Amino acid sequence: MILYNIIRLLKKLPGIVYGLTIIIVFFSVTANYFFTFVNMMNILKHASVLIMVSLGMTLAILLGKIDMSVGSVMSLVGVVTGTFLHRGIPTLIAICIGLAVGCIIGFVNGYLIGIKRFDYWIVTFANMGIAQSLALVISNGYTIPGFDSSFRFLGDGQIYGVPVGIIIAFIITLAIMNITYNTKYGSNIYSVGGNEQVARYSGINTGDVIFKTYLLSSLLAGFAGVLLISKVNSASPIAGSGYEFDAIAATLIGGTPFDGGKGGVFGTLIGACIIATLRNGLNMLGFTPPIQFTLIGFIINLIIIFDVLNEKYKQRRGGVRNEA
Amino acid sequence: MSDQIILQLKGISKQFPGVKALDNVDMDVKKGEVHVLLGENGAGKSTLMKILCGIYQKDSGSIFLDGKEVFINSVKDAENLGIGIIHQEFNLLPHRDVAQNIFLGKEPLKRGFLGMYTIDKKTMHSKCEELLKTVGIDLDCHTLVKDLGIAQKQMVEIAKALSLKNLKVLVMDEPTATLTKGEIDNLFSLIRTYKNKGVSIIYISHRMEEIQIIGDRVTVLRDGKYIGTVPVKGTPTSELIGMMVGRKITNLYKRDYNGAGPEVLRVENLSSRGKFKDISFKVHKGEIVGFYGLVGAGRTEVAKAIFGEDKYDSGEIYINGKKVKCQSPCQSVNYKMGLLPEDRRDEGLITKMMLKQNVVQACLKKVFPNGILNSNTEKEIACQYISKLNIVAPDENVIVASLSGGNQQKVVLAKWLLTDSQILIFDEPTRGIDVGAKAEIYELMNELARSGKAIMMISSDLPEIIGLSDRIYVMYQGRIVAEFNHQNASQEQIVNFAIGRGNDL
Repeated sequence: MILYNIIRLLKKLPGIVYGLTIIIVFFSVTANYFFTFVNMMNILKHASVLIMVSLGMTLAILLGKIDMSVGSVMSLVGVVTGTFLHRGIPTLIAICIGLAVGCIIGFVNGYLIGIKRFDYWIVTFANMGIAQSLALVISNGYTIPGFDSSFRFLGDGQIYGVPVGIIIAFIITLAIMNITYNTKYGSNIYSVGGNEQVARYSGINTGDVIFKTYLLSSLLAGFAGVLLISKVNSASPIAGSGYEFDAIAATLIGGTPFDGGKGGVFGTLIGACIIATLRNGLNMLGFTPPIQFTLIGFIINLIIIFDVLNEKYKQRRGGVRNEA
Repeated sequence: MSDQIILQLKGISKQFPGVKALDNVDMDVKKGEVHVLLGENGAGKSTLMKILCGIYQKDSGSIFLDGKEVFINSVKDAENLGIGIIHQEFNLLPHRDVAQNIFLGKEPLKRGFLGMYTIDKKTMHSKCEELLKTVGIDLDCHTLVKDLGIAQKQMVEIAKALSLKNLKVLVMDEPTATLTKGEIDNLFSLIRTYKNKGVSIIYISHRMEEIQIIGDRVTVLRDGKYIGTVPVKGTPTSELIGMMVGRKITNLYKRDYNGAGPEVLRVENLSSRGKFKDISFKVHKGEIVGFYGLVGAGRTEVAKAIFGEDKYDSGEIYINGKKVKCQSPCQSVNYKMGLLPEDRRDEGLITKMMLKQNVVQACLKKVFPNGILNSNTEKEIACQYISKLNIVAPDENVIVASLSGGNQQKVVLAKWLLTDSQILIFDEPTRGIDVGAKAEIYELMNELARSGKAIMMISSDLPEIIGLSDRIYVMYQGRIVAEFNHQNASQEQIVNFAIGRGNDL
């Protein structure tokens, strides 16, 4: 009976969890020292930044939209926070200022897309450029090096051997999961993404939902930016560029499609872990970064093909057909 | 039912771009009655109800609820006043479960962790189960809506409307269109329960027999205008139909019946699962064949299947006696077929492009000899059709979106005349077109038939069907249920077949 329950529970899990398990098992067998506590923590530490920025991206994609500005917001928040830290401003205040600057970008995104109904591609692309350029202007194009230990504790410190970054990412993930699965706002995100007209006809203020989501996406990107500069101990004005694509990949691998309205942040969590695990494992097997990209692309394709086939199989078995 | 009037609509008007959807419409609903709203497709019933429910804003007029004037500016306003609606099309989120759909926008909340308001899923699901029980359907409220059948979705939709607190007025827009006999009986007993509780129901339906069973009073709309309100008891169905279709056929329709030529298009036993079944008909040279039926009867689907846009499961299509299988519109165009779709703006035209570009769209070879645009030819062709079809446009460079409905339709027609189409399928050729342009389109169709084209016309406009067609096929729920000749066609009979009553009046 217990076994049956476990099997039923396992069947409920998204297929992507099995993908991650297979990858971990594969690397554990082929690479020495892969399946050790230290290495696992290492993977999670790398994943934590990606997880945070991916969460925001997932919310935007659940709306049936996208937020291309997250990578640049990461850079901008990192640079602003770094600059203020070097001015001798207390850590907490510096972080808050950084996050606030990031939120301004989110505010503009949300206002233009949600309230003014502009096209989300154009708006977030424009703000991606603006945030990136601001980061370069503020830092004068140079990387801001070295922070004091109280700040570095965020990205590099440990509590009982568990990196602080992972704990932060874990807490934030739990919070976002709670928001999307349990609150009215979270439910509204799914409704707007599923069918905006239905949501409007049901009396939901769709503009408000979109506005809040873009704000939240930028805030999460800001968290990721702060964590990133703390982890690498320097704030580069282009540190976050490219993260938007990784975030999209993590979201899609995690089973949230571009049309919105289905999927969820749990899948994204796994998706981000898959990307981080692949990077780490391939490194340990001795593949150089250029080859890694090919292999990662290849594996992601495989996972998605498997997922699509699985969905089709489920549909064939479960769906109710309409009779003529 | 008491005589107390709970809801009163006075002088409601609504203008859409190009169409006057509602013109000074009145209606009053008594407490606890089932008030039937009757009218042909496009008479303005749904628009009126959408105004009542806060989806559209009225241009003028006023709404009184319980004797007080109310202003309904949003769906929330209507819900707070106790006005619920069951929409004609499904308004459900496929990837959310039944409970989430029913309580969409009004989820029960509780104070959770850190004082945050979270959705009280337990209450939601138990309330949902209770509600489903009263509605009388056996459904697990955790099922995703996409896994439900059509009838079940309809029941969820009904439950969604009933979930409103202090429900006073419930609008049902063709709730039985997809239900079986047993389910309809269930629904009717449910309606009676709510009626006895004092809830007023505005019931939109085409099915006369339902109106006789469930309705108390009937308000008839026609062309966006108020025709009258009568009690159901003591008003024979034929009189209702008369009020509904009432127009006199004027000489809007000029048609020379000049005898059919050889057969051009023949369809045999065409079936597509869930859309239509065993469709067989033929169209001769020089003939206009009309297809009448209610929205959802499967007429457009048949046209799209013949044109190769949609796939069909079985059956054969013969063009000029030769069996063909059109897998794509591209092939159909090669067989000299043309489709003037129902949705002109989305399917018939590229509205952001110029008139001349739209005209040559289906025949690009003519203007791209050797792959390079010959703009002179393009201009010539466009000008030729502008004068031939009498298109009112400043010049051939005008953006199509700025033309009126009638002229847009002519541009679509020009497109197919350029490819020298022998079979033309008109899907709702005059929807949203004013009377003057209608007459011109009819004249063009008459002329086309005389010049030997085979025309298949789908229309929900009865006088149009009767006035233009050589033969008329009536469709009901995916099947052809009757065929009429233009000599023996009567409006009442056609409507009877279209609403599934068959031959008995």
